[in-house]
Amino acid sequence: MNAFFNGEIFKDSLWLLVQQLPIVIEVLVFGLVCAWSWGLILSLIRLSRFRPLRFLAGVYIDLFRGLPLLLLFIFIYYGLPHAGIRLGPLASGVLGITLCYGAYSAEIFRAGIQAIPKGQTEAARSLGMSNGQAMRHIILPQAVKLVIPPLTNEFIAMIKDTSLMSVISVPELLFTAKEKMGVVVNSTPLTVAALIYIVFTIPLIRLAARMETKRGRRKPSGGKNGGGPTVEAGGDLHTADIAGQLP
Amino acid sequence: MTTMIELVDVHKSFGHLDVLRGVSLTVKKKEVVVVIGPSGSGKSTMLRCINGLEPIQRGKVIIGGEDLHGPKTDPNKIRQRIGMVFQSFNLFPHKNALHNVMLAPMKVQKKSKQEAEEIARDLLGKVGLADKISALPGELSGGQQQRVAIARALAMKPDMMLFDEVTSALDPELVAEVLGVMQQLAESGMTMVVVTHEMGFAREVGTRLIFMDGGVVVEEGDPREMIVNPKEPRTQKFLSMVL
Repeated sequence: MNAFFNGEIFKDSLWLLVQQLPIVIEVLVFGLVCAWSWGLILSLIRLSRFRPLRFLAGVYIDLFRGLPLLLLFIFIYYGLPHAGIRLGPLASGVLGITLCYGAYSAEIFRAGIQAIPKGQTEAARSLGMSNGQAMRHIILPQAVKLVIPPLTNEFIAMIKDTSLMSVISVPELLFTAKEKMGVVVNSTPLTVAALIYIVFTIPLIRLAARMETKRGRRKPSGGKNGGGPTVEAGGDLHTADIAGQLP
Repeated sequence: MTTMIELVDVHKSFGHLDVLRGVSLTVKKKEVVVVIGPSGSGKSTMLRCINGLEPIQRGKVIIGGEDLHGPKTDPNKIRQRIGMVFQSFNLFPHKNALHNVMLAPMKVQKKSKQEAEEIARDLLGKVGLADKISALPGELSGGQQQRVAIARALAMKPDMMLFDEVTSALDPELVAEVLGVMQQLAESGMTMVVVTHEMGFAREVGTRLIFMDGGVVVEEGDPREMIVNPKEPRTQKFLSMVL
């Protein structure tokens, strides 16, 4: 027991790890904004009328959904310098997260956009709106609401994946805990890191689950075939397992 | 009288399925053209071709003298002059009644918020929903939703209105309130093309009746005359089944 939970080391490590939180939060905030923006742009390209662009977006999404994030981090931080591109650890982290999670969120956004009934676009177009106006004022506001639960799940996965940045010497939680472990010859720092992850992720997991049940109960609206749409893409998302971890 | 809508030999197919096989139709100002016909006869598709929601394969659609598919035509501009009401209402579920009506005048015609709100309140009052302006579509009955949809289309101050089986999704007791609004609109001089199964409406409000079958116009004439005394056998057969 003492090997995993030593009171003295616990206090020490907690203080040490909490000091690393700003870095993690920084990566998460930038990563989140960049990944979701990139994902939205990708999804719009994927649904656009221009065949070559659509194809390229599809290739990108498939490719980056298939690559491990760890490989991306290592490539960006240790591989790109060979080509003369040098990014700091933080920038590498944000770039890796954006590239990878952009692909995932693109699929979530696409599913959300496609879940909005066709009649909505037709109504908007019949009022004289352009395609872009219909997307901006009618489709996206509804689609975004629809994809908040899957995006929350994605965010949870992103929090956990910040630990992968330990390989590019970003002093995030895991990296710091591992170093401390070497110093104190005890596993308690790891326990502390685990606790911090849990403190961050559990509320989000509960929140996502609550939003999903709420959506399931919501009264359909919008006429005879306008029943409340749901995003079914959740099934093929890598984050889907997270929601299932808790009852 | 001015010609508002002119279809010239319009052909429309979905893949191998020919839905419109040469439809020609002229609608003059203030006319209320009622279109009837069995399902699959192409009535709704014709309506959707009028405002360019469906591309056509052959023929011409001329709106107020302007070719909808002309190289210099902006279809979005033309659509602003054509209001359309759908069978499934298609209200924007994330916006309340007032904002459903205000949106297009603000975003498309760039009207100020105050001006758009004034128009919206006035129209919602006219369709009898002054007390429902802040209700979301999901909180309204089908008849109320459809009246909001009519107000929403009218807010763009269109020159003509298309109605695509607007009462078909409604409970029978709600049909009258929507038809009432449409009748008022016709009496105010609006040019209308109405696809419907409501023969009472055709008889009382329609200025012309069109019977479509198999993607063509089979017969057209004065509604009161044609309902009682159809000439074509196909029209006779259809009318004998719906009346």
